[in-house]
Amino acid sequence: MNVENALKTARNGVNTEALMGARAALAETPAAGQFTWRAECDWVHGTHSRSTVQGFFGLGAEQSHTRAFTVEADHPPQFAAADNAATPVEIVLSALASCLTAGVAAVAQHRGIQLRSVKASVEGDMDIAGILGVDAGVRNGFSAIRVSFDVDADATRDEIAALVAQSQKRSAVFDIVTNPSNVKVTVA
Amino acid sequence: MPRLSTVIIGAGHSGLAMSRALAGRGIDHLVLERGQVGNSWRTERWDSLRLLTPNWMNGLPGLPYAGADPDGFPPAATLVREFESCAAVNGAPLRTETRVLSLTWDAGYQVRTDQGTLSSASIVGATGACALPNIPAFAGDLPAGIARISPITYRRPDDLPLGGVLVAGASASGLQIARELALAGRRTILAVGSHLRLPRRYRGADILTWMHRAGVFDTPYDQVDDIERVRRTPSLPLMGSDTHETLDLNALQDLGVEIVGRLAAIAEGKAQFSGSLANFCASADLKMNRLLDAVDRRIEADGLQVPDAERSAPTRVPDAPRLTLDLARSGIGTLVWATGYRPDHHWLHLPVFDRKGRIRHDGGMIGDGLYVMGLPYLRSRHSTHIAGATADAEALAGHLAERLPRRHAA
Repeated sequence: MNVENALKTARNGVNTEALMGARAALAETPAAGQFTWRAECDWVHGTHSRSTVQGFFGLGAEQSHTRAFTVEADHPPQFAAADNAATPVEIVLSALASCLTAGVAAVAQHRGIQLRSVKASVEGDMDIAGILGVDAGVRNGFSAIRVSFDVDADATRDEIAALVAQSQKRSAVFDIVTNPSNVKVTVA
Repeated sequence: MPRLSTVIIGAGHSGLAMSRALAGRGIDHLVLERGQVGNSWRTERWDSLRLLTPNWMNGLPGLPYAGADPDGFPPAATLVREFESCAAVNGAPLRTETRVLSLTWDAGYQVRTDQGTLSSASIVGATGACALPNIPAFAGDLPAGIARISPITYRRPDDLPLGGVLVAGASASGLQIARELALAGRRTILAVGSHLRLPRRYRGADILTWMHRAGVFDTPYDQVDDIERVRRTPSLPLMGSDTHETLDLNALQDLGVEIVGRLAAIAEGKAQFSGSLANFCASADLKMNRLLDAVDRRIEADGLQVPDAERSAPTRVPDAPRLTLDLARSGIGTLVWATGYRPDHHWLHLPVFDRKGRIRHDGGMIGDGLYVMGLPYLRSRHSTHIAGATADAEALAGHLAERLPRRHAA
């Protein structure tokens, strides 16, 4: 398998050598793998808010993005809101698609598969009787999420299916949405 | 204190294989066994268990299978009798009913047992890979009143409290136990995480015959891409039966077993299952078909005249698998933790463990005359099979003999 990969070099723009190096380094110093991700969210007006991300902790020290990024959220007119940005639930779907797509690219690079195009379409079903408090038997969140990948690559259909499967196995956001997490919210 | 060349701890297939390999080299040794020969196969297996490997793969050192049914699957009790014959044929120097309490170093290995202390120049740990169930940390969140067992303590369906059973884990043990419970009329829910899938028969032969022929068991441990990953691979998802039936999630669903995602947590009396079932099933199907593709290529390369390929239908995944289960309200009486096994090396009081508590070893060689056997992919995938112990023992005994301190001149 190694020999095969060395002979097949794909150009997907993912530095898998660096990622594999990080994986080897973590086996030696597992504490460096402890990361804390952060976001700060400011209320703007109505249901409009603006989150900012820049600093995070990892590799044993405080780290920073090259600059601050903002993610805005709001709700559409159908919710009597000003529609300044995507809804938080659409941001979750986008995050899931982004995470899986990054995974497809990384796994393809590692397996020497050249990608030409990758498009993920995500749908999440929700009964808003939950968030509106109409029916206590209905959950707030998605009752089902569907992701459909359309991948054009130098690979067989099964190889593409295996890329998408492996991407799910290694995806942080896929894990976050498919498994429970303890969430603690406090007031400063 | 008598000083031995080698003490072997455990008289299962690994310990008996090493005993024979040492005897062949004229190395004096003792085999210590906490119970009787093949103890875990006597005391830690369920009643109906048959080996998932056919007879020809279960040959013991000096006692290759010579019966009339090389493709049959022996019950555990038959294997125990084979162990007894093997120990007798080889004249293994056994000390049964002798439990090792600790292994330390003080100018030689000091083996403290409940029958006294032995001193030895070298040690072979052969206490098995499946000594303890690997139970997740959140097991303590299981509400009182629900019985919790593992494949090591499970014996038969009738022993379980009335009610349904949640089986966590879909490797060989979990699949086999879920099947037996469903056949006994129990409501059975099987929580499925990362798993494998195999047909029992393929193109006119047992799948293990093809896997041998395709060479998938042969790669030595030091030529594997990621040895940590392959050592975590669970046992093959098969069962041994007279009808050579296939054991997979489709077969279990046909028996009425409900499949759900990996058991992720237990909170407020409810089991919570992961939403990843579809992907794990798709992955298992893809891996199975990749293996069968390799088998097809081998058949073609060897020009074999065998039946055409017939592939299993994709695993049927429910549209909306259950995400939570109120255990008490659903009448679940028992949770079976079929979430894997780990070895029990608590007696080993030496700094030979990694940060996850696993023995650091190089194909069974720990260093300084200390060896371990019987762990998954110790030296190759054959190491997991009963007959694989013979080759591992030969390799390690050769290494051990070379490094044994020279005896006092006779």
